[in-house]
Amino acid sequence: MSDAPRDTKGAPAPPEHDEEHGATPDDDEPRLRRAEEELRARFAEELQEGEETQERIGASREAIVELDHVSLAFDRPILENVSFVARRGETIVIAGESGTGKSTTLKLILRLLRPDSGRVIVDGEVLNDVTYEEALVIRQKMGMVFQGAALFDSMSVFENVAFPLREHTQLDDDAIEARVREKLEFVDLEPDRVMDQLPAELSGGMKKRVGIARGMAVNPAIMLYDEPTSGLDPLTTGTITRLIMKLQRELKVTSVVVSHDIRSAFRMASKIALLAEKRIVFFGSPEEMTASQDRYVQEFLGGV
Amino acid sequence: MRVLAVQEYFGLAAKAIRFIFARPFYLGDVVQQMDSIGVESLGIVLLTGFFTGMVLALQTSVQMAQFGATMYIGRLVTASMVRELGPVLAAILVAGRVGSGIAAQIGSMRVTEQIDALNTLGVDPIKKLVTPRLLAALIMMPVLTILSDTVGIGGGNVIATAYVGIPTGLYWRTVWEQIASGGFILHYIPSDFVQGLVKPFVFGGIIAITGCYFGINTKGGTEGVGNATTRTVVVASVLILVIDYFLTQVLLFLFG
Repeated sequence: MSDAPRDTKGAPAPPEHDEEHGATPDDDEPRLRRAEEELRARFAEELQEGEETQERIGASREAIVELDHVSLAFDRPILENVSFVARRGETIVIAGESGTGKSTTLKLILRLLRPDSGRVIVDGEVLNDVTYEEALVIRQKMGMVFQGAALFDSMSVFENVAFPLREHTQLDDDAIEARVREKLEFVDLEPDRVMDQLPAELSGGMKKRVGIARGMAVNPAIMLYDEPTSGLDPLTTGTITRLIMKLQRELKVTSVVVSHDIRSAFRMASKIALLAEKRIVFFGSPEEMTASQDRYVQEFLGGV
Repeated sequence: MRVLAVQEYFGLAAKAIRFIFARPFYLGDVVQQMDSIGVESLGIVLLTGFFTGMVLALQTSVQMAQFGATMYIGRLVTASMVRELGPVLAAILVAGRVGSGIAAQIGSMRVTEQIDALNTLGVDPIKKLVTPRLLAALIMMPVLTILSDTVGIGGGNVIATAYVGIPTGLYWRTVWEQIASGGFILHYIPSDFVQGLVKPFVFGGIIAITGCYFGINTKGGTEGVGNATTRTVVVASVLILVIDYFLTQVLLFLFG
């Protein structure tokens, strides 16, 4: 947490939060209401856009990704009693400070890690019980976009995007090329210009886009993003955020996005899960988040 | 902790060997690795093999002269090259050149999350990365060793003829005498060759698995990659020299 919240519009700086989240003495109410209005005003544009998106995607009630009272510790506790549900078509943004176990939740969903206690359920399958080989199959339902894109640097852009298709589909070469072109065009890259390039020749934003194209190559039902906008300039951040929204809108995929970029989060999230101190301190829509009386939530938003 | 590492090492080896026989076979990767492990190591292995053969002939000529037995230079050079120096020197060189390369490549894939990416794309990294390298090393190490032996014995020929004055014909006859002296397996295969080719096969496996093991377990960014390469070269070289001794004992017991 940054200790001095950036205070662009002269709002009163949120006071130091005490141990107890959410306990609000009555005399604080006017201050809190002011803070809420302030937040709404500050994020008005993002909230508006987010609301429109949510209306358009019309998420169903069926849970597709679920963490049920999950705890995990290595040398020290990483997550304690974390629960949230992503319904089909929804976009869940997992926000929080650095080092609060945000990326760990993605690894749990992918079953790269197993929880010490609690259950992780993806598309009806409890991942705790599956073997390593079964997990490889379940992972094909998910597309993952890594923080550093994690493109295979010995392969061209074409080979990278074609890789999951070659592994898991029976498509012939022509069909694979058609699919790769389609995915590259979807992420606004010109196939003929980039297909033969190596990842080392691409800019950060382009790598991210190729990473998204590779993640969605086999048309997975779930897309996972690890810090999709970190390390990018503001313009590229906007582009990538719009791209993730385009995916949820046009392809109706369920997305789980790990990010500390709250502006992007407000634009795309159906629900935001705020992680702090190994726990989820808030889970709800962006609207609810700005209305939250929780001091930590307010401080987090104020400090953005 | 150390015991656990040994267990992991053998676990990795067992998995990689099992995947040799399971679909899909990444033949393209195997051929590419055979190229980088075998063909690209050829120059350095031939050069060192040639000079090793020459220095062997030179040293033995000085020692043998004391007993008036210089005509046996060919036998000694052949026995040393085929049974010991060919396999061990080639393996040490390949461990330095290829083992470190494997560790560096897989290590940087680890720190840039490419190994995780393989996993999330539903592909077992051991199958995709380790098995092709293992297979390529198992095939190419014996080939490199045969070539190293051959130019080594050729190098011995050059010195024996030029310095000591042994006719080439005589030299090669003593070479053949040595090869035949160990007896034949299945009537045609000289026992010396079998001993000389079991070793590089085993060493190839050690080099590939060691490089992959340290590569996959790389931690801590680029510095970790550097550590992984160093450890690979040290551990693989030590393993090669130690296992060479025990392997020799077993082979001598079996084939004499």
